[in-house]
Amino acid sequence: MNPEVPNPNRVLVIDDSESIHKLVIARLRPEGLEVIAEVDGERGVERAVAEQPDLVLLDIGLPNVDGFEVCRRLKEHPATRSIPVIFLTGTADTESKVRGLDLGAVDYVTKPFDQVELRARVRAALRAKRLQDILEQQSHLDGLTGLWNRRYLDQRLESELNVARRYGRPLSLVLVDVDHFKRVNDDYGHLFGDIVLQGIAEGLRAYARRSDIVARYGGEEFAILLTDTNLRSAMYVSERLRSSAESRHFEARTEIVNVTASFGVSCTEDLAAELTPEALLKAADLALYASKDAGRNCVHLYRSGELILSTGNPLALGSDGGESR
Amino acid sequence: MGSIRSAYENDPDMLEIVREFAAELPARIAKLEAHLAAGELRELQTLAHQLKGAGGGYGFPQITELAASLESALKQGADAPVVKDRAAELCAILRAVVVPEAP
Repeated sequence: MNPEVPNPNRVLVIDDSESIHKLVIARLRPEGLEVIAEVDGERGVERAVAEQPDLVLLDIGLPNVDGFEVCRRLKEHPATRSIPVIFLTGTADTESKVRGLDLGAVDYVTKPFDQVELRARVRAALRAKRLQDILEQQSHLDGLTGLWNRRYLDQRLESELNVARRYGRPLSLVLVDVDHFKRVNDDYGHLFGDIVLQGIAEGLRAYARRSDIVARYGGEEFAILLTDTNLRSAMYVSERLRSSAESRHFEARTEIVNVTASFGVSCTEDLAAELTPEALLKAADLALYASKDAGRNCVHLYRSGELILSTGNPLALGSDGGESR
Repeated sequence: MGSIRSAYENDPDMLEIVREFAAELPARIAKLEAHLAAGELRELQTLAHQLKGAGGGYGFPQITELAASLESALKQGADAPVVKDRAAELCAILRAVVVPEAP
């Protein structure tokens, strides 16, 4: 859940000769790289989509689907488009090299390859991949809090809803709004307001589960996507987040300031509407407003049109019945 | 012809796969000769292409060189005696390869 960019280190080799697979593995493993291999172009594309390697070493002279076509497919598929491709070519002619580079490959290595050259070219491609990964992630992060931003949350909401629909798994959404934030800003200044937002964000991140996707959704509003989580479990998580926010103190000059937040929870299983991002957001929003109306610093759940207060009411959803996930 | 050893047989990262590669060569020679005898030139070209790509990587630049010359003869549609000669040269050098000892 915590945004961090790992070092890219997984290489997929697509070459019809297993001698080449072994050679590449022997040469790249000492570099700390993990190498997977396919002999067939079609299978190679499938493997790349499924395993998301950081680099593809691609033979041009593949039987059936040739390397150029494989490269074209990799560059066309949204899941593999940004994976760099280095061509392995047995023929040193300029035309193939140019064609490969024009198709989107970052580099080429001629076989038989010199191991020092192979390693250097692979390292260079992986360095560039890391920068690209960092940039991509930056574009999904909120600058003030370091949480995911709204754009990213909207993207994930869409894709997680698809997963939830396809596999019949529950997906919950929590909206969080800092209470009386305008007053905090007016009384203590915007700089202090920023510190409060950072503190709340830190609390949400620390007390959410690893798999939860925590985002800053707008000014003083946060959103958390809880995959594979039903309404009851989302309620437990939300109550934990609420009390962690409540117990957090902020120092403004000589004063200790206490800030609380209100929560609204919805779940795909309790929507009583078509499963769309809008419907899930709307339901959580209604629950959030119920929390505001009820005096703030509390959690409301949306259950099939009904708004239920859970704070101070552990049996809000009836007894647990031993079910929990 | 004298014996031929891999330039990488003292490289611990490479020893094992060089041993495998060298040990598989008799099977490749048999295939090469069978395709040649049957006049299966496409298959012969594929084998030559693969040996060209792998040979140098396993520390046998001579294999790459002779495999490349066979491949180019086939690509250019050279006369049968030329193809036969180059295939024979390639097979001779493959036979001369020594499987390195296990560590």
